Amino acid sequence: MSDLLSLRSATKRLPSGPRLLTILDRVDLTIAEGELVAILGPSGSGKSTLLGLMAGLDRPTDGEVWLDGEPLHALSEDELALLRRRKVGFVFQSFQLLPNLTARENVLLPLELGDLPDAAGRADALLAAVGLSDRGHHYPVQLSGGEQQRVALARAFGPRPRLLLADEPTGNLDGATGAAVLDLLESLRREAGTTLVLVTHDPALADRATRRVRLRDGRVESDTGAPAA
Amino acid sequence: MTASLFLRQLAREARGSRGRLAFFAACLGVGVAAVVAVGGFSSAVDSGIRRQARSLLAADVSVESLQPIPATLDAALRDLPGVARVDVTELITVVSAPPAADGSPGRSQLVELKAVDPGYPFYGALETDPPLPLAGLLGTDGVVVAPELLPRLGLARGGTLSIGGQPFRITATLLAEPDRIAGSFSLGPRILVGRAGLARTPLTGFGSRVTRKALLKLPGAPDSARLTAVATRLKEALGHPAEIRVETATDAQPALRRAVARVDRFLGLVALLSLLVGGVGISQTVRAWIASRLDSIAILRCLGMRPREVLALYLGQTALLAAAGSLAGAAAGLLILATVPRLFADMIPGGGVDAWQPLAALRGVGLGVGVALLFSVAPLAGVRRVPPARVLRRDAEPLPPSRGVRLLAAVLLLAGTVAVAAVQARSLLLGSLFAGGLVAAAGALSLAALALLAAASRVPRSRVPFQVRSALAALGRPGAGTAGSVVAIGLGLLVVVALALVQGQLARDLAAELPRNAPTAFLLDVQPDQWDGIRRLLAREGATRIDSVPVVMARLTAVDGRDAETLAASLTGETAERRRWALTREQRLTYMDGLPPDNRVVAGRLWKDPDPEVSEVSVEERFARENLGVGVGSHLDFDVQGVPLRLKVTSLRTVDWRTFGINFFFVVEPGVLDAAPQTRLAAARLPRGKEDAVQDLLAKSWPNVSVIRTREILEKIAGVIDRLAGAVNALGGFTVLAGLAILAGAVSAGTARRAREVALLKTLGVTRAGVAGMLALEYLLVGLAAGLVGTAGGALLSWAVVRHGFDVPWAPSAAVIAAGPLVAALLTAGAGLAASVPALRRRPLETLRAE
Repeated sequence: MSDLLSLRSATKRLPSGPRLLTILDRVDLTIAEGELVAILGPSGSGKSTLLGLMAGLDRPTDGEVWLDGEPLHALSEDELALLRRRKVGFVFQSFQLLPNLTARENVLLPLELGDLPDAAGRADALLAAVGLSDRGHHYPVQLSGGEQQRVALARAFGPRPRLLLADEPTGNLDGATGAAVLDLLESLRREAGTTLVLVTHDPALADRATRRVRLRDGRVESDTGAPAA
Repeated sequence: MTASLFLRQLAREARGSRGRLAFFAACLGVGVAAVVAVGGFSSAVDSGIRRQARSLLAADVSVESLQPIPATLDAALRDLPGVARVDVTELITVVSAPPAADGSPGRSQLVELKAVDPGYPFYGALETDPPLPLAGLLGTDGVVVAPELLPRLGLARGGTLSIGGQPFRITATLLAEPDRIAGSFSLGPRILVGRAGLARTPLTGFGSRVTRKALLKLPGAPDSARLTAVATRLKEALGHPAEIRVETATDAQPALRRAVARVDRFLGLVALLSLLVGGVGISQTVRAWIASRLDSIAILRCLGMRPREVLALYLGQTALLAAAGSLAGAAAGLLILATVPRLFADMIPGGGVDAWQPLAALRGVGLGVGVALLFSVAPLAGVRRVPPARVLRRDAEPLPPSRGVRLLAAVLLLAGTVAVAAVQARSLLLGSLFAGGLVAAAGALSLAALALLAAASRVPRSRVPFQVRSALAALGRPGAGTAGSVVAIGLGLLVVVALALVQGQLARDLAAELPRNAPTAFLLDVQPDQWDGIRRLLAREGATRIDSVPVVMARLTAVDGRDAETLAASLTGETAERRRWALTREQRLTYMDGLPPDNRVVAGRLWKDPDPEVSEVSVEERFARENLGVGVGSHLDFDVQGVPLRLKVTSLRTVDWRTFGINFFFVVEPGVLDAAPQTRLAAARLPRGKEDAVQDLLAKSWPNVSVIRTREILEKIAGVIDRLAGAVNALGGFTVLAGLAILAGAVSAGTARRAREVALLKTLGVTRAGVAGMLALEYLLVGLAAGLVGTAGGALLSWAVVRHGFDVPWAPSAAVIAAGPLVAALLTAGAGLAASVPALRRRPLETLRAE
């Protein structure tokens, strides 16, 4: 298995009032193609920041982040945007659908941005895959939480990203809905062969992962289930 | 991003923005409508004047003088083969109906008389009823009269009219003259006679004010270059005398067109002001809009949209809104143009305004979109700085723009404002001054805002109730945006207050009635030996305040030894024409021992020069200072009908012209002019209702005397000014609307961000009324600060406009000045509370959970 993502001594500091706060402290982590990684840790341990670095949403203060052979720490905002467009998908705790767009348009947008062929047909197929064929014309505010997250899944998988990042994807859902969303996430991932990194508090969710990375105070405390190098 | 995706995304982003669109359109549309209406109106008037230039002149070239046209013109014309000439003489006189059978005098009327040669007019149509050739209608004893004269004199067509004591037969009524703007200011009904007929009367004799014109028609179809060349040649041939005016059809109605241009410039800048005030509102709207879209922007970035693509998306959205708002405004402007100018129709050549002014509309849309984009640049620049990591951390605020970007935005805004002002005023200097004034006002407002913040943070908070403490804390909190709100509200108020003050003052000046004892009639051209008889008649008919002064006509030949003609020719600058006129006009001198009560000596002393050889003159102060450039001790040389006279200025005096008494620029000491040829000017207050009878009696016995009834004239002037004031009022209303829109916008832009704060306060146990009270107090303070500075700025602006624009003393309305800050405070509090209602209504958990 080849490496998809690798962080080398990645450090993130943020200003907090007059001081600099170290959120991530020299994190080394390598994730191989096709892994399902859960990132665990208490509040404030740096989970979301780590996710941001992996996606190129944020840049490390120090250290390096490599995604599919590209140095995220050295790319411009534009280059990062293009890279995300092609290779990275997201699912968030608060769904993060665009409120002005219908469900179908939300799914369609990344396909259009990537200028992919038959974007419309693909969006419809994805909506069908998440069981929302008949709700495509609804706006997010007209959908339930579970439905919104299913739209978010369809959107995230649309451009067939190499890497999917999920931030507490079931955090805002009740148990049954959360489980259903997780089933869907896993089946889509298997089908597309996508590498999945998810941040969670939820032990049930963590149990589904092949590998568990535990953070504490911005450092990797433990890393279990990593494939043998 | 492909173009089609860009367009689709634009359309998607526009959803659910009806409220924003309406507000945006209101901010922008109001200003654009004002710009289009003003611009369209003046260009319609100007093109109307140009279109009818030849018929307004009734000739290709006109030579006009108050003296008989010199014979040198004939000689010059002989060198221009094929040029046709007719002469026209114009004067004001009184005409009367024949005496009644019982010998009582017939009724009489002041008229504007025009005497023409056969062949008049060269261009344009003279309409008469019956429509017969003019030469036949006039002859030597025919007269064509304005229809309104007939009932006034109790005459009908075919009747006889006495002009200057000579009988004339009324052959037709006059429906339209080509060289006369319908409805323009006139002293009385118009009548037309032949020049041969006029020669039978004594009306062009000594002392009368007569305008003489030679109208010329060039062979073929001369272009404007040829007209100018001919005019130049004639001026040279005549020796450039100051009292002769040579006009061509190209520069038709220069005074009217200049006046239109001046009004256009003033109103145009007022309109621009309302557009720029709208721009401030747009800036606030865009800021609030972007603030509400931060999450969406972060998601778009997260999905792989590049920063410049996001910027293009929001810039495109702004441009779309701007275009929509501007188009709506331009349509409203054209609609105004189609309806309002009916009020002015009779002042416009051709009678109407062409409401379809595509150029003015285009210009308005251009200015509207330009202003909208200018004012959006700074808030839009923030779009690029939204961190995509915001999708993970809600508190990831947009990074503040770098100093370079902020500087660039400021420079762009300033340069843009200068540019649009220069376009609107058609002058870079005026545009720069205008923009400079605005920057100064905004600067003062910012300083006031900072002062307020400093004061708010210094108030000892421990001693005041919780609500006050919280309001003060909110004002001073970093990032509260208080300074921005104060500037926006203050600028809006500044404009509103300035206009209210200017309009109020104009309205009061107009409404100021005539003093109760002002004369209601002036008698012109009274010969000295006629005065006794006239005075007796006036007294017998019950007239009061009968007054009369001698009038000696003279020409100014030198000022402090410098030749007046040379001096006049050397003048340059904006006031040159007025000063040239003052130097070369026919001067009316009077002499008296003591001054009338409405005169006050402000420099020197009256008739106190120690040298008995010196002949003294007292000059009206502003005329002396601004037009002649003389002071106490200066010498003025006059030519009193052939006799040179040197006068020393020994006093300057002010005159209260509003008393409408008899007043002169030059009053000479008694004894100097007693023997000079002279007429008398008389004034009297005629009993109400007896004016017609007295006028008729005067006309019968002294046909050379003209009676001017002030009441009628003043009413006419007031009518014209009223309509102009109406236009200024309408524009002021526009700006008030724009100002109110901004007020609401500025306040609601802030309140959206306050929802969380409101929820927290409620969670902590503050009642809704308590929260509302805190917000109200905070907004009151913001409004009060903006109101104080805005009102002060507005008062300053109105002072400048009143003093320098209209040239009258500044007397601001205390009520407006007092109301300014109060209204601003109350409106701000009201708008703020109204915008906070949704946040107050929501249950706190909903708000906090949504975070």
